[in-house]
Amino acid sequence: MADTAEAVRKSIRTYLFVGGVLFLGTIITVLVATVPWLDVGHHGFDTWDAVLGLAIAATKASLVAAVFMHLNHEKKPVYWIFGSGLVFVVALFALIGLAKNDPIHDPLFYGSQSTTPAPMASPTMR
Amino acid sequence: MEIPYVVTPRKDTGLFNSKIAIWLFLASEVMLFGGFFSAYVFLRLGADYPWPERTLPVLPGLINTFVLIGSSVTVVFAWASLKMRKWRHFQIYMGITIACAALFMVFKAIEYNVKFHHQAVRLSDYTVVEGHLGYEKENGEYVLDHHGSKIEENQILIESSGVTFNTVRFHAPWVEELLSQASHRKARIRLATDVTGRTAEGGEAVTIAKAGEPLSIDLLEKIKEVHLKARSHNGAVRTAALRSEWKKAKAENPGKKGWEISSSVNIDAKALEESKTLLSEIPTIAFTVEPPVRFDFKPRDVREGEAQSRLRDDTVIDGKLLASPMVFHYVDAIDFRHLAMKAVEKGQDPISAVENSWLIKNHPFAREAWEWNKGQVAKLEAKLLEDYGVDRKTGLPKREPTAKERYRMDWKDFVAMSDGVDRGQGKIAIKEEFMGPDYKGRESSKTFPEHFSLPREQVGFASKFTPAWNTYYAIYFTITALHGLHVIGGALVLAFYLFFGRKMYDTNPEWLANRVEIGGLFWHFVDLVWIFVFPIFYLM
Repeated sequence: MADTAEAVRKSIRTYLFVGGVLFLGTIITVLVATVPWLDVGHHGFDTWDAVLGLAIAATKASLVAAVFMHLNHEKKPVYWIFGSGLVFVVALFALIGLAKNDPIHDPLFYGSQSTTPAPMASPTMR
Repeated sequence: MEIPYVVTPRKDTGLFNSKIAIWLFLASEVMLFGGFFSAYVFLRLGADYPWPERTLPVLPGLINTFVLIGSSVTVVFAWASLKMRKWRHFQIYMGITIACAALFMVFKAIEYNVKFHHQAVRLSDYTVVEGHLGYEKENGEYVLDHHGSKIEENQILIESSGVTFNTVRFHAPWVEELLSQASHRKARIRLATDVTGRTAEGGEAVTIAKAGEPLSIDLLEKIKEVHLKARSHNGAVRTAALRSEWKKAKAENPGKKGWEISSSVNIDAKALEESKTLLSEIPTIAFTVEPPVRFDFKPRDVREGEAQSRLRDDTVIDGKLLASPMVFHYVDAIDFRHLAMKAVEKGQDPISAVENSWLIKNHPFAREAWEWNKGQVAKLEAKLLEDYGVDRKTGLPKREPTAKERYRMDWKDFVAMSDGVDRGQGKIAIKEEFMGPDYKGRESSKTFPEHFSLPREQVGFASKFTPAWNTYYAIYFTITALHGLHVIGGALVLAFYLFFGRKMYDTNPEWLANRVEIGGLFWHFVDLVWIFVFPIFYLM
């Protein structure tokens, strides 16, 4: 193991700092979702809120992975193993794109209903 | 025997073995949770109903996030303490970690419990009413069932004159329940006609049970035994008859293939009947109820019909379906989003669709709440217009109230309404943020309608807030329950190191440190999943 007692002692401050950032990140996530004047995009939840919320979550997750899980200084095999798992997850999410942009999608196949799934967000709902 | 590479790294990987193992496991875990999260996206994009965004209470979720992040920090500190050979510190940090896990599960249990006791009903016009069911008299007392306990569920009421059981499938506890209800209402369930049949080969029909015998499980079991014996005997007899027919046909048509003669091979049913070798099968047993009385059934157990209803065990209940309204003891949300969405899909005006809905026309409270909500939406529209102005290109206001603000009134709105203040300014106790509204405490202020009756024919779909209610709750419970199992599993492993690690610490402290690092890696992963679960389910 590369982590000697001395190296660990030096890292304690980093761990505390990351812990603090995680707490702060959580508070920011809640604030941007609940305080009206911090609301990005339109009023209420929309794509921009999702992007911002997930960006904060991804940052927090990266910090956990890099610092707490020591991915910032790990041996090669770990990156290979974890990376190959991630590839499949990315592929899964890519499948969603495939379903939404179906090249042979026929809107009339399911009846004449509108294919846009979120009529609630449209301004016609007044 | 010494286990190799638990402390010293292997030359080829540069790592001790268990670390490779945990990362292999975590890679598979990433794919597992990744699958569920992508399922979430699929379900949300494809939902044909208004997705219940920002519907979970944020405060408990936020506290749970803090708890889990805190435990992630302490588990690192526990590992660092071992590295620095400070056993006492390790014990403290690991103790805090496990306490955090327990606290997390307590909050989760409260959250689940609130949902499992919360009723939702979708009317046939897609209005959604949420609250708590309970049958209650005018004077405020509960209606009790015949056992003397409170009726907290919707009931299907049938005035029955006859019951026919499926001999094989009848469900004994339900039979007992029928007997119990009948005896409470002073009715008797008796066998309608003599049950007769041939019980031995070559014999004459005998009476198995006489008309007028009272219903009992023993009686049903007795007939079931006769029926099953006859069924298996008859099966064997028919197979033997068929076999001999085939033999005969093969002998008469030498050289022909089986499929060429198969159409002429048939059992002579009449001859078989006359030979008295077949025994009597009794697939159903009919009983009469005298005098006809009311039976109560749980909606999930019965498929109700006007003159005849059927239980899930194929018991047929003859008799008139009585008015079986769903009675809410407390209503804590009225939601017109789905109705409005349907109206927009049909090209209708959603507002007039809401105002013409059954609920608004029939329930003064719903009408009052809707009018209050319209006032709130108008205020919000004016405020958003003032704060953000108009889009120059389209001429429309830049920001508008959401569908949720326009069409949904939840318990916090009802509190604000009864407090006489604007939306979001009603007084909510901290306990209510966790446990839901304090109905009893708010009874005096009439915040929640106590008696809210929905006729059976208006009910489109009813469920508690369980995975059955909609795909949102299905994926919510799947992901959070799987995550909860990970919390429990991780906490058990870490607790093992805490309570049984001392011996290893004394003999090989580095090995224990490595073990804790492995357990810690899993624990960080559990935290990492929650970092995504919290915003996705609680804030989006």
